[in-house]
Amino acid sequence: MVDEKKDIKPKKRSTATRAAASIGPMVKEFITGTLKARAEGKQKLAYTFIVCHHDEILRAMDVVPLWTENFAGICGAKRDAERFLQRAESLGLSRSLCTYALCGIGFDQWREELGDMPPNAPWGGLARPDFMISSGQILCDPRTKWYQASQQFMPDVPIYNIDLPYPLFQRDRDHREVWDYYHKYIVKQLRGLISFLEEQTKKKMDYDRLSELVDLTDRTWNLIDETYSLRKAIPCPMGTGDAMNTMVPLCFMMATETAYNFFLDLKKELEEKIAKGEGEVENEKYRLMWGGGLPSWYALNDFNYFNSKGASFPVETTYRMVVNLNEMDIPQTNDPVEHIAWRWLGFWTFWYDKAKQRPDSEPDVERLINWIEEYKIDGVVMHEAFSCRTWHVGLLWQLHQLSKIYKPIPIFEIGKDGEKRKVYRELPSLVLESDIIDITSYSEVDTRNKIDAFIETLESIRLNRAN
Amino acid sequence: MELYFAGIDIGSTMTKVVILKDGIITSIIGPTGPEHRRLANKVMEDALKKSNLTLDEIAYIVATGYGRINVPFSDKQITEITCHAKGVKYLFPKARTIIDIGGQDVKGIKIDGNGRVNDFVMNDKCAAGTGRFIEVIAHTLGIELSDVGDISLKSRNPSTISNICTIWAQQEVVASLAEGIPVSDILAGIHRSLADRIVRLISRLKIEDEIIVTGGGAKNKGLIYAISGLLDRELRVPNEPLITGALGAALMGKEILERSIKSNIPIEKRKRILEEVEV
Repeated sequence: MVDEKKDIKPKKRSTATRAAASIGPMVKEFITGTLKARAEGKQKLAYTFIVCHHDEILRAMDVVPLWTENFAGICGAKRDAERFLQRAESLGLSRSLCTYALCGIGFDQWREELGDMPPNAPWGGLARPDFMISSGQILCDPRTKWYQASQQFMPDVPIYNIDLPYPLFQRDRDHREVWDYYHKYIVKQLRGLISFLEEQTKKKMDYDRLSELVDLTDRTWNLIDETYSLRKAIPCPMGTGDAMNTMVPLCFMMATETAYNFFLDLKKELEEKIAKGEGEVENEKYRLMWGGGLPSWYALNDFNYFNSKGASFPVETTYRMVVNLNEMDIPQTNDPVEHIAWRWLGFWTFWYDKAKQRPDSEPDVERLINWIEEYKIDGVVMHEAFSCRTWHVGLLWQLHQLSKIYKPIPIFEIGKDGEKRKVYRELPSLVLESDIIDITSYSEVDTRNKIDAFIETLESIRLNRAN
Repeated sequence: MELYFAGIDIGSTMTKVVILKDGIITSIIGPTGPEHRRLANKVMEDALKKSNLTLDEIAYIVATGYGRINVPFSDKQITEITCHAKGVKYLFPKARTIIDIGGQDVKGIKIDGNGRVNDFVMNDKCAAGTGRFIEVIAHTLGIELSDVGDISLKSRNPSTISNICTIWAQQEVVASLAEGIPVSDILAGIHRSLADRIVRLISRLKIEDEIIVTGGGAKNKGLIYAISGLLDRELRVPNEPLITGALGAALMGKEILERSIKSNIPIEKRKRILEEVEV
């Protein structure tokens, strides 16, 4: 057990792409923009969460989203979350709760107590909202409770909760049998949100504008899918370390031209790199998948450490919150709200049909298997963030299911030349343990020791295959 | 010509060196102090003296353990996970699961028939479940660490230690003493508590026989008894459970050099100097 000093500013992480390098200033500009909007008072500001498919609705109503998880992530990345976490603890909240929520609640309490931003708040701080839009979905319970806790300090700020369910996977049932009911319910939820926003902003929804933004979002989804698929190239031109940056336009700027143009530029950059044979690492030896879990925002340099060992990450499940709409089998409609609801259902049920075709598979596992094959993956890395219940349980189960398919035993494969050859379908995995923003749970020395051991395992497998 | 290989394992509390030829010819164990680099030199000097060898005669040196980067004369650094696997496989060809109970961490390692690591888990964030836990309790009870295992095996009614935190468990031990609970029962309770933590950790691996226990904790008979009872399986312990990492490191060096000779690809080697280091 080694305890190193944790308040040292980490070495700046190097990125493989220009696009990823541009994200820091983009986020700073975004946060500054929200503070400016607050000061000007012309637009309404809303606390809210990513992956709620309400981006177009907010943008069409000129509401400025304040992504509270994003702000907690910034505090973590700047290694400045501890004082907000401690403040939440002083309110009697346990450190074992979601640390994004704790950081946000601690920050809110402090800001409301001062009537001003806490001293030296990261990038100027998180603006006070006019209202809060929560959504627990099936995804994450703090997303329902967080704003209720924050409301203690902002009793004048109303909360609107949207419920966005989707049919759970059942091997023996077709989800389409029930998804009309889900669709009706989600449409009602979204129309309820629109009514709430109309009431708050004193403006009527412009449905033509909403349709345009829905179309822009659809095009952005397809563009992101095409762009990220370029990472199948060997060597891989962009890794997960960069994707933890490019998630910003994906998750926080959807339904904006900025996001669309960002991915146009990124796609062009990746195509250029592929044409030149440039990889994320100079001599790519291992191709790894980030198989789940939110990253440790204060330790993104660990991706560079993997890179220094010849390991690249061509694909990750975290924040890959889009699929190509051309591959999504959903009913067509001209109503933008109905389309959003279908897209929601299409996204969450995307892997259902494929999973049913494989014994022991489930949608999340099926996605891993497909990407392991498509991206030619040598090993899987996951991160168990102690405070994130949503991911925690499922990750170990997914690894368990994968281990049934990828076993360390030789199998015979018939090559294209018709020759029978012995191949190993071995897929080692590494589970990193710490947290999303609570740096007290992290030890760089121990984490890197685990990475070293994992790389040695990969190398051993590689040598074994070569023999 | 038979070549010599050395492995040096700088753990959190002990430093170990093994010199290998066709078998182990020397092994040395010394305490790890704050000055890793000086100690690495010292322990290696002792091992060479004992073997009647010079550093130049060692064909390849691998350093392992958490202090592995502080061995200036090593040709390569390899993690203790890989090295333990290699060392244990050499001693126990049928080994599949390794439990390494070190001074400040505990590891579970799954290996295949070739001694390759398939999976591993580590407790590196809490003293509970490590050798340090026992040290603290032995100190509280005023008994020698080496006597802890034998005394605990005399217990007829192990006490229940409910705290998993080392500090709180220490307080619980003091309270148990005040209640007049025999030391042997307290120690047996401590071992059960520790074994429970260790078994929960390694259960994340698919535990398979043979199970080998290494590290300083393996010398504690009471702890081995408690883990074996919880797992309901037989555990095997090397004659010298502290040196498996250093042995594995030496074996890795042998493998690397042999592979280099076979493939005719030269490997990088460090200068053979036990340099003076300012600490």
